[in-house]
Amino acid sequence: MRNIFKITIVFALLLTAGCSTKYLDPVPQTSLSDLSVFDTKDRIVAQVNGMYDYMNSGAFMGGRFQVYGDVRADNFIPKSSNLVTNFASWNHTEVSSTNEVQNCWGQIYATINCVNVFLDGLKTNWDEGKLDGIITQDELDQYRSEGLTIRAICYFSLLQLYCKPYNQGNGANPGVPLRIKAMKSSEENDLARSTVAEVYTQILNDLNEAEPLAIEDYGDPVMNTTRVHRNTIIAFKTRVYLNMQDWAKVVSESAKIVSSSAPFTATSGVAFALNPSFTGIFEPPYATSESILSMPFTTTSTPGTQNGLPHYYSYLSSESYFLNTNPGLAYAAMDATDARKTSLLLSDGKYFLTKFSDYTTLTDYAPVMRYAEVLLNRAEAIVRAGGAVTQEAVDLLNAVRTRSFPTGGYTVASFASASDFYTAILQERSIEFLGEGIRTMDLQRLNLPFPAKDGGAMGTVLEIPPTSIGYIWPIPANELSLNKLMTPNQ
Amino acid sequence: MKKVLMILTLFLITGTLVMSQTVQITGTVTSSEDGMALPGVNVTVKGTTIGAITGADGKYVLSAPATAQALTFSFIGFRTAEVPVSGKTRIDVSLEQDIFNVEEVVVVAYGTQQKRDITGSVASVTGESVSKVPVQSFDQALQGKAAGVSITMPSGALNAMPVIRIRGYNSISGSSYPLVVVDGVPIATGNFGGSNSAETNALADINPADIASMDILKDASATALYGSRAANGVILITTKRGSGPRTKVTYDGYIGMTEPYHLFKMMNAEQYIEHKNKAWVNLRGESAPKFTLVNDKDGKPIDTNWADYIYRKGLQHNHAITMSGSTASTSYFLSVGYTDQQGIINKNTYNRKNARMNIDHKLNKFISVGVNVAYTNGLNKAPVTGSSFATAGAARLAFVLPPNLGPYKTDGTYNIAGSAIGNMGQPITNYGYYNPVAIMDLNKYTTETDRLLSTVYASIEPVKGLVLKTTYGMDNLTSEYTVFQTPLTGDGYGSNGYVYNQNQKFRRWTWTNTANYNVTLKEVYNIGLLAGVEEQRTTNVSWYGEAIDVADPFFKVYQGSWITPSGTGGGIGENYFISYFGRASFNYNKKYYLEGSVRRDGFSGLAKGKKYGTFGGASVMWNVSSEPFIQDAIGSVFSDIRLKASYGKVGNMSAVGDFSSLFLYSSGVYGSDPTLTFSQAGNADLRWESSNKYDLGLTFGILKDRIQAELNYYYNDINDLVLAVPQSPSKGIPGNSISANVGSMYNTGFELSLTSYNIVKPNFSWTTTFNFSTLKNRVTALAPGVTSLLGVTASLETTNKTVVGEPIGNILAVETRGVDPETGRRIYVNKDGKEVLFYFENSTATRWQYRDGSGVAPAITTASDAKIMGSPLPKFFGGLDNSLTYRNFDLNLGLTYALGFKLYCGSKAGLRDQRWWNNSVEVYETAWEKPGDITHIPKPVMNDNISNGSSFPISENIERGDYVKVRNLSVGYTFKKLPSVTNIERIRLYAQVFNAYVFTNYSGSDPEVSTNGNANLTPGVDRNTAPQARTYTMGLSINF
Repeated sequence: MRNIFKITIVFALLLTAGCSTKYLDPVPQTSLSDLSVFDTKDRIVAQVNGMYDYMNSGAFMGGRFQVYGDVRADNFIPKSSNLVTNFASWNHTEVSSTNEVQNCWGQIYATINCVNVFLDGLKTNWDEGKLDGIITQDELDQYRSEGLTIRAICYFSLLQLYCKPYNQGNGANPGVPLRIKAMKSSEENDLARSTVAEVYTQILNDLNEAEPLAIEDYGDPVMNTTRVHRNTIIAFKTRVYLNMQDWAKVVSESAKIVSSSAPFTATSGVAFALNPSFTGIFEPPYATSESILSMPFTTTSTPGTQNGLPHYYSYLSSESYFLNTNPGLAYAAMDATDARKTSLLLSDGKYFLTKFSDYTTLTDYAPVMRYAEVLLNRAEAIVRAGGAVTQEAVDLLNAVRTRSFPTGGYTVASFASASDFYTAILQERSIEFLGEGIRTMDLQRLNLPFPAKDGGAMGTVLEIPPTSIGYIWPIPANELSLNKLMTPNQ
Repeated sequence: MKKVLMILTLFLITGTLVMSQTVQITGTVTSSEDGMALPGVNVTVKGTTIGAITGADGKYVLSAPATAQALTFSFIGFRTAEVPVSGKTRIDVSLEQDIFNVEEVVVVAYGTQQKRDITGSVASVTGESVSKVPVQSFDQALQGKAAGVSITMPSGALNAMPVIRIRGYNSISGSSYPLVVVDGVPIATGNFGGSNSAETNALADINPADIASMDILKDASATALYGSRAANGVILITTKRGSGPRTKVTYDGYIGMTEPYHLFKMMNAEQYIEHKNKAWVNLRGESAPKFTLVNDKDGKPIDTNWADYIYRKGLQHNHAITMSGSTASTSYFLSVGYTDQQGIINKNTYNRKNARMNIDHKLNKFISVGVNVAYTNGLNKAPVTGSSFATAGAARLAFVLPPNLGPYKTDGTYNIAGSAIGNMGQPITNYGYYNPVAIMDLNKYTTETDRLLSTVYASIEPVKGLVLKTTYGMDNLTSEYTVFQTPLTGDGYGSNGYVYNQNQKFRRWTWTNTANYNVTLKEVYNIGLLAGVEEQRTTNVSWYGEAIDVADPFFKVYQGSWITPSGTGGGIGENYFISYFGRASFNYNKKYYLEGSVRRDGFSGLAKGKKYGTFGGASVMWNVSSEPFIQDAIGSVFSDIRLKASYGKVGNMSAVGDFSSLFLYSSGVYGSDPTLTFSQAGNADLRWESSNKYDLGLTFGILKDRIQAELNYYYNDINDLVLAVPQSPSKGIPGNSISANVGSMYNTGFELSLTSYNIVKPNFSWTTTFNFSTLKNRVTALAPGVTSLLGVTASLETTNKTVVGEPIGNILAVETRGVDPETGRRIYVNKDGKEVLFYFENSTATRWQYRDGSGVAPAITTASDAKIMGSPLPKFFGGLDNSLTYRNFDLNLGLTYALGFKLYCGSKAGLRDQRWWNNSVEVYETAWEKPGDITHIPKPVMNDNISNGSSFPISENIERGDYVKVRNLSVGYTFKKLPSVTNIERIRLYAQVFNAYVFTNYSGSDPEVSTNGNANLTPGVDRNTAPQARTYTMGLSINF
């Protein structure tokens, strides 16, 4: 019996032994706590890159945003009627619950909040002195300027899709909710729409604040293409003002980065210039002096299938979009010798872009803005501001046109009126930026209808006039149901 | 812990009370049936722990105190007898067989109890009833076996995880899946394979042939000892142990054939061409393109029934050998099993090898030790089997592809064009969908699991009645999921081939220490006390690699040569429970029962300072029939009547992640640079969901227990439901939601279980078991400001809506009212109740028109016009089993049923879609043609993807799901008196049909379906899901 008692005591001790608590407070090994993300400069820079990475999502600037800009307009016809690959955008049957309508909104606002959370943390930590010895004032300014610019790009992108153009009522129409505070909790679910004009004001405030804070040159072509610097901000302002039809501002902003005569370059900061070869812009390493801002991809960081530009434009894709060859559109308007036409690929009787050809790895950079656009923005604004076709405007247009079509240069005499010039500019932009998402913006900023299109087996789509409800996307259903102050597009 | 020691000391003192005067009593125990001696019978002096066990000759010798009033004789399978001593020194007893199983022992939390002493609500199912059913995991065979337990097979793919619901839905964001405990240790559950291919149910690692019993704990008093994991109910699995001095060897095996139960009847090539060309004309007039018949290599028109290439008759065979027995000190059970099953879908196979060893050994009078070790290797191979919208989904390809295309070109090569099927000169440039023959031949998806489930224990009984036990359990599950997609066509075409390998290591240890004391005082006060401490740590580590662009088409594995690695990653999860628990049960002379349990759980996933929660339950029972006045009144009819009531509060921790309370940043890359982004808005206040469960029960036996019944009413009020509180998308919060304990819901219902021994004769017996359950589920609160939650199928189709005041997961659709006879257009009803017709061929602006002729109407959408169209939760469900034996023949018929629910037959939208997709013959035969036609299928207009419900769900495709299923039908013959030289005790041969027939009006493949698996918010959706399998087997059981 004695042994039994001993064993019993051991057992009794075992019963009480299990109370170790070292496992009760585990620390995640694959994520960082919010308390440690401003501890080193590397982590702060990683957060800066994180903002770009949100924008770089396939649902936004990584591919789909540009695709919406083209397929809603007239130059393309889909191979597939798959709704996942934007068929509803193409035939203008989007409704508030259509996936792209909800997903794009969600991704853009996720990017905005990522920026807001970062800017908020950056300011708080700096003000509390926690960044002393970690980053300099210049670096603080640079990071802030990048955040502000990304936020401006986000709001500008939202206006393109979900709001009536500025020219309809000078921005008095409903814009989008302006979220400029960091959101981390359940508070402030409801926020009403600002007007289009108010959103433009915020965009310009952000860009104007960012411009003097920004770095001038990273000294590295890839960083100059994939991160925001001072000239990026100026270039983007020309696009913003062009959409507001503030021609004088387009002229004055573009003057900062466009030399007065050919060859046109930016003379301070990053030296923007046209790339000699048109096709070379879209080939590795993608970081030409013309590439103002592009979204980079690598084999381990891709936009994803059904998102990336190659999925939408490569002839290899079963869901790609090919060129609409009907008269009056970009394809028909190109000369047979134009590099932009000769670079097209004919497959199965259809013409495909080769700008985004890496269908296998989806690693083609997604262009956000090119210097060619700045030149054409400036050319158009000069004429619209002055009412007359000038040599400088024609030179700017020719710079872009004759790169690909050397014998196609215009003279001032080529244009009987300013209006002929506008037509030529619009056509040139339509040709030059095929697949880069500019076309819808061009139609809408000039209050032009989406022309009717015949997609053969994919059906026909009637003209969408600027007054039509289908001219812009509906507000997403989930925003309408959760944000009690949100109002639908009328 | 001081308390535990104090209790221990108390036990020791009471146990050492010494008896003085003794009397020796002897006797023989025999069986009343054949008069044979019964060895191993437990003989005890009533009200004490003094006892003896009969020897091989049935004899016993017992030293009883002079004060002994009576002896009790108990033996498994026999009714316990109580004989007054009255001064006798020789007591012989003849024990009656317990043919009505009233003395059954039931496994409960941390122990066992006699079925009649259970005060909570527990349903027991024997291992026998699942061991011979041709399924992959035992849970599939539990269907219809227990009241209140609803089991739904989601599809006919092998080893898909059944949807298990014990007394309804208990969570919204978390899991409603029960806790599964094997031999006392909570084990891993869930899917360890791919989500759409080679799904792998962790429960399949337990060989059904090793299971002795399954006990399902339903109310809070039964589950309270599992505390924060008890709310969804608990399934206790007990594996077999050896008994009896003779070594028993058994062989069980079957071979079988399985086939799809119900396939859709599709148009043939000629019908297809006629119908689709008509649709073209309806769209674009006579100039429209035309589909044509295409000739095969023999010059005959191709007429492909794609289902023939996708489904098959599969062969299955299964073998299990067991060896068991016991000596005076050791009992053992050894088993090996092998199963090899082909599924109804081509290339879908499941293979399992397993071995088990259960050994219990008495070191001496006081100390016992034991070990259970089970090892299983499972291998599941499958194509992309289903469900929803994958363009590679086998079930979908079986009916979407046109019959005038074939799998091969005339030169014998696959008919492919890039990733998709080749168009064979048809006017559709790009079909987009894959050639199923090519992708099933060339692509490969596998999940292999290796699992070691083991426990060791030691127990000591220092004094009679007090058992101290320590148990250490280990669940090591390693799985490897591999994907290969050919560069030739299909999903891998675009990336020039694709491979993905994922390894997952699930590790869990559980250490449980308990002290259990049972004592009877003054012969009538029966007391049971339990105290315990338990720790459980789980780690779940996974990593994966993927690559694209194969270097040479020879390589079909990740380890081959690939040009571009396209990603790596994985996850590390860990959590830990530390728990203290206790139970006290008391009954007065088996007449009045009282029981209470409590558990305090600490969980690592909760925020600092908020890690602990306390849970508990209590129950009472009154053995009404033991009251003399009741006996006198109705004792001639009712042999037993008991009333029970229980209440308890238990938790559900499943919605709390390992790190839910923390604000986290995760890392990625932008181009080539590292990133850090805000990825989780944590909630430090997050805690378990809590369930207040009430149960009222009545059990009774009629006609000497020939009929036994149990009736329960339950009410389960769930509070603090964790909900991902949706945030306005414009806030940009990661995932657009923040989790919080905000919701509430209840489940209530009645359950009836009946077992009737209709005929019990040596040569003829007939037993009927029946169960019937009702379920009423109501969501009573969602997040503040949120009145509904949408359920989305495969992130593409909004199919369900959960609304406060309604059952969870109601089906959402736009109301339609058939087809307008004048125009042939589907009649939609918009949010204002006005009827709207749809004209696909019109310009976008004029497609929707009011039926009353008042012009253009706003486009119909789910968001603005859909209504709730009913609940997919069956109001009534259960099962009915009949077992007959006549001489050497036996017959078993098992039915299951579910009534009073709606299903969304999304597949029907596809079957009627007017793109180039093939349609069911019904469309060919009944589509609208001319004014005046009364039909439910509108005028076919080419490319019309709206009129039949492809773009958004319409009520046309919502149907009643009510069914009665002949789940199991078997006949067997047993050879009993075999020559003794063979050493064979008996041989049983049987034939069985599993899923024999379904009585239903549902037009989809099978009303037992769940495209969205175990998801809480999207039940009742049938979207391109593989049909169920019907399996015929021939089996053989040999007992040596």
